[in-house]
Amino acid sequence: MKRRDFMISAAGTVAGMALLPRMSFAAEGVIDWYTSSDSNILDFWTNTVKPAFEAANPGVSINLVDAGDGAGINAIAERAIAAKQSGADPQADYFETHDPNQPNGAIDAGIYVNMKEAGLSNYDKVNPLAFDGDYSLPYRGSQVLLAYDSTKLKAADAPKNWDDLVTWIKANPGQFVYNRPDKGGSGGNFVRRAIHQANGLDPAAFTLDNYSEAYANETLGKTWEILKDIAPSLYDNGAYSSGNTQSIQLLSQGVVTMTPVWSDQVLQAISQGVLPEDTGLVQLQDLALAGGFSRAVVLDNGVNRDAALKLADFVLTEEIQSAILTELGGFPGVSWDYVSPELRERFADIVPTSIPTFPGGDWGAAINDGWYRNVAPNVDRNS
Amino acid sequence: MEKSDSRRPTGLLLVAIPVLLMAWLIIWPIINAIGRTMWRPDAEGSYGFDLSSYIFFFSDQYSIDNLAITLWTTLMCAILLLAICLPIALYLRFSQGRLPAYVQALAIFPMFVPSIILAYAFIRVLGPNGMVDILLNAVGLPKIRTPYLTPWGPVIGLVWDNIPLTVLILLSGLGSVANHAIEAARDVGANRLQVFWHIILPRISNSILVAISFSVLGIFSSFTLPYLLGPASPEMMGPFMNRTFREVNDPINAVTQAVVTFGFCIAFGLFYVRSVARNQGK
Repeated sequence: MKRRDFMISAAGTVAGMALLPRMSFAAEGVIDWYTSSDSNILDFWTNTVKPAFEAANPGVSINLVDAGDGAGINAIAERAIAAKQSGADPQADYFETHDPNQPNGAIDAGIYVNMKEAGLSNYDKVNPLAFDGDYSLPYRGSQVLLAYDSTKLKAADAPKNWDDLVTWIKANPGQFVYNRPDKGGSGGNFVRRAIHQANGLDPAAFTLDNYSEAYANETLGKTWEILKDIAPSLYDNGAYSSGNTQSIQLLSQGVVTMTPVWSDQVLQAISQGVLPEDTGLVQLQDLALAGGFSRAVVLDNGVNRDAALKLADFVLTEEIQSAILTELGGFPGVSWDYVSPELRERFADIVPTSIPTFPGGDWGAAINDGWYRNVAPNVDRNS
Repeated sequence: MEKSDSRRPTGLLLVAIPVLLMAWLIIWPIINAIGRTMWRPDAEGSYGFDLSSYIFFFSDQYSIDNLAITLWTTLMCAILLLAICLPIALYLRFSQGRLPAYVQALAIFPMFVPSIILAYAFIRVLGPNGMVDILLNAVGLPKIRTPYLTPWGPVIGLVWDNIPLTVLILLSGLGSVANHAIEAARDVGANRLQVFWHIILPRISNSILVAISFSVLGIFSSFTLPYLLGPASPEMMGPFMNRTFREVNDPINAVTQAVVTFGFCIAFGLFYVRSVARNQGK
């Protein structure tokens, strides 16, 4: 390269770098939106919610960003706390799903909007079962089901409760797999269902506040015994897939016969032909596998706070809530009275009256670490 | 002589930016991490020298298992890489024509495939009911036990990923082996093995050391392939650190694992530095 060219390109680079920080400021009218969900949720927002919202609100647009996982959103929330203290701009307005109790003290720091007092016109429509505090807005639900290959297992023989499931797993070694509990909710909630099983089938026994190390050791200790008991009968003598998608992949390749799946992901996989039409779905009848509602959080100190609240209100409209059922295969966040009667009838069978949930906070870390230490076996290297 | 003197500051200026970046982005964080894990507040909040996180790491069977599997994976990859790449490099050095050019292109090809794509290709081909199983089944042979989700999964992926760099470094080392030295040995009646052992190997031992330390440094701290292809437990240090930090919310232990990891990497790095220094002295 000639010296003159070098000087020109170097000067250009320096000028560009001087402009960079200015360019990264949040733009007025562009909602910075973050998600920690799987790509099917991002696709749903890209193809359905974003065009509908932008058509209804000229001049406002949404910048959809995949934050990766819950820890990714947490890092952005921590940035928002720091920005609040210094009066700066957090460059974030809307979390697609988040637990406002994270990071610790975020609510006290005042970075989240109190949804109850925000004056949303659709707030009263939300399913009362779904609320988890005033700082988040439940807008969609999903649940973990068991999906199975109906060519190998007849619907009549599919296990309907936990004991039948354990009997089936042991009678069919290598035909069941669940993913590592920290790598996706389908395996994570299967582990949580085992916790419920070990502790009297009472979801109320676990709350965000009743975590203590002694209580966790006692309740989780019994759970690890249950899971260790079935481990040798799992796929490849106790191998665990590395995510929700990988479990579905093993099912679609005919490697395993049954695996826990998210309801929305499995319905989408069936509609896209990843899984065959006749894939069986079953829910345990003694206590359903845990699932949960996704709860949107709006940042109080974001530049586009008001536009983000408009968006939060918008996702509760009948248009979007129906699309959650039809396009996403999820459950609506609003009560069933606010879904069109036709859809209400069509989905009557699969929608539960309640979804057992499991608290996050310290429980999440205790479950994730305890499972790796106690359940995941040391694989024999020489086999 | 005057001219070379005036060039000297230019040379130093040229390396100043990478050196400063390295000090800022790598060396300072290392010092910082060591400080943060050893100089910690106790229950009353007063700071003091504290090795408890290291004592925990080396007394915790789970952490030791993870370190052991990382060392095992690294060792296996190093042995396999040498066993695969040395013959390829020798072939490329001593043969002529169009075929070696194709072989070289094939050997370099993995360099242009991102490891995440490699991981999914691996699952499709060697995974359960994958292409290999289908082919075996077609000729009436039994299924294989797939390496997917066993410790061999990451080994196969990492070896494939590291072939290009190793072949290139070995090939450049073989460039310094003169043809007439080999012809002279042949003339006095040395067979192929003797030529390799007495003529070629001593001349490329340095390149072998460099190639191995380069790939070992990358393999020891690799993340994507062990994460996607490896077993849930024990896990390699890369996924283990990431999980401790993000999922278990335990930064002190994650940093301790990182310090232990780069302690091993520094030891491997010293091999490389020593062999470079020895080369310069020649």
